Amino acid sequence: MDIFSGLLSGFQNLFHLNVLFYCFVGVFVGTLIGVLPGIGPIGTMAILFPATFGLPPASAIIMLSGIYYGAMYGGSTTSILVNIPGEAASVVTCLDGYQMARQGRAGPALGISALGSFIGGTFSVIALMFLVFPLAEFAVKFGPAEYFSLICLSMTVLTYLARGSFIKAVLMALLGLILGSVGMDPLTGKPRFSFGSVSLLDGVGLVPVAMGLFGISEVLMNLEAQQSLSIFKTKIKNLFPNLQDWKRSIGPISRGSVLGFLVGILPGGGAVMSTFLSYTLEKRLSKNPSAFGQGAIEGVAGPETANNAGAGGAFVPLLALGIPSSPIMGILLGALMVHGVNAGPLLIKQHPEIFWGVIASMYVGNIMLVLLNLPLIGIWVKVLKIPKRILMPLILLCCLIGAYATNNNAVDVIIMIIFGIVGYFLRKHEYELAPIILALVLGPLLETNFRNALIIGDGRLTIFLEKPISAVLLSISALLFLSTGFSNYRKTKKRIAEEVGDVD
Amino acid sequence: MKKHPIYAMVFWLTLGIFVSAYSYFKLGLGKLHNPGPGLMPFFLGLLFSIISFYLLINSLFKRDRKEEILKEEQGQINFRNVILVLAALFFYGLFLETLGFLIVTLITMTILFWTMGLTRWRPLGVASCLTVLVTYFLFTYLGVRFPAGILRAIGMY
Repeated sequence: MDIFSGLLSGFQNLFHLNVLFYCFVGVFVGTLIGVLPGIGPIGTMAILFPATFGLPPASAIIMLSGIYYGAMYGGSTTSILVNIPGEAASVVTCLDGYQMARQGRAGPALGISALGSFIGGTFSVIALMFLVFPLAEFAVKFGPAEYFSLICLSMTVLTYLARGSFIKAVLMALLGLILGSVGMDPLTGKPRFSFGSVSLLDGVGLVPVAMGLFGISEVLMNLEAQQSLSIFKTKIKNLFPNLQDWKRSIGPISRGSVLGFLVGILPGGGAVMSTFLSYTLEKRLSKNPSAFGQGAIEGVAGPETANNAGAGGAFVPLLALGIPSSPIMGILLGALMVHGVNAGPLLIKQHPEIFWGVIASMYVGNIMLVLLNLPLIGIWVKVLKIPKRILMPLILLCCLIGAYATNNNAVDVIIMIIFGIVGYFLRKHEYELAPIILALVLGPLLETNFRNALIIGDGRLTIFLEKPISAVLLSISALLFLSTGFSNYRKTKKRIAEEVGDVD
Repeated sequence: MKKHPIYAMVFWLTLGIFVSAYSYFKLGLGKLHNPGPGLMPFFLGLLFSIISFYLLINSLFKRDRKEEILKEEQGQINFRNVILVLAALFFYGLFLETLGFLIVTLITMTILFWTMGLTRWRPLGVASCLTVLVTYFLFTYLGVRFPAGILRAIGMY
């Protein structure tokens, strides 16, 4: 099936009323949680994950994907009007977006962010469509050794790009891999770390862990903060930016689209990192860098475009290789698995309705999002006024019901609460949570490919270096580790020198 | 010196050693040409222990000003709400199947709303009852089957 007939079939599937409805539900919920500070797209996808069990696989993935890229749109509203990011990918938008609102330009800020998001999102879908095919064809040649090395590289990049300590991120990735080994051994069926519990034989569920780490712990952190939202009181007018605004924004939007998409493909890159890079790039290229942070529209247009383009880029490794590049993509992989669909290079051939359905839904979803975010901006502003004392208990109840509904088992609720407490303490001690989820999803794949490669190689560990692709991927991983080690060594040396100086 | 990062590292170290020991003795490592179910967890546990040990040593000898700031911040945190919320959540998980969805959700939501600051009885009761009814009908419509608990035992469900 060529690209155009595939896309046409995707649109035909999408325009069945119920599929379109799930696409709308996804982008609507995505915008809602993007607007509301306190719960991010990962937690929401995990909460709604059990509700998708009864849906056809294509509708389930379309809805969950909609939540992800919808959240990228909604996140900017809170950043601009309240100066609190609705989700992590909108942190940078606070810098200039809020300043624009203070100067009475909330309308153009919201407008350029929605339109930039639309352009970035659409660009990334087109690029995704053309990139997935060659990559999937190339990946058909991958054997267990190549897959093992690719997963290793994914995990390494994710930990390398972690915001906090690299070594702590590695520790969390290992914790996720250990959790992933709970349950029946994938090759021999022997129970591992289940300690006689029947519930643990299927392994530690992705849904309770993700909801605990990202839903419950987020609410617990919010309970501590007790911050109240003060919405900037201004009349939102002139949502469509004027000619001058467009002239200033077109460059950042174009660059944000390309940069966001490329960064989105990287494991661990995703939407968040693309916003920071876009902001830095625009500031460097600007003739007037001092205007950044004072309400420069370029500081809103670039990052907001980049986060949507990044969201699209993150689908590339999942759809072409079956390797999720972020915890969000991990949840989508989990959803595919629940529906008995094997993600990977053969996905396009075996389940074209899912692949093309998702692509077509992203086009339509982006249009829905512009309509939701521009004319209906007033509704989202009102949503922001929902008091926390109502919102937080409702989020907690959704988590509780979601965890229970996964297997109709109260043990999952307890597991979720335990991971909520674990997540709460990990956040307090500045550990990254994302590597745990990604490693939990990738752990069984990593192990199966590792052991299969050893069996094929008759026990030779050198098999991972004999295959050229595998050797290249492992070398990149090793280089990343070495560079971080070297940088840590230099920092420690400097610190010791300073301490010795202090003593002297 | 801050103690709880050290406790955390000791916990991680113990966990790593346990995973390695369990994999080695209970699961078996197998041979390289036919790896056993314990091989991967063994090495994961080993790496985990090494990194935890490194972090433990680091936190024992590191003068960390940031931690002191964190301690000051923690001094202002009211943990009462966190503990109350966790107690309500555990209550939900432990009694959901015995008491049933309707009763356990009503009690849990009342505690949660109250903890978050909804202290006047009438709004508290209305919010809790409304939440129970809306979520019950919504999720039942979505195909979720909730446990009836004691309501079935007394013939009300």
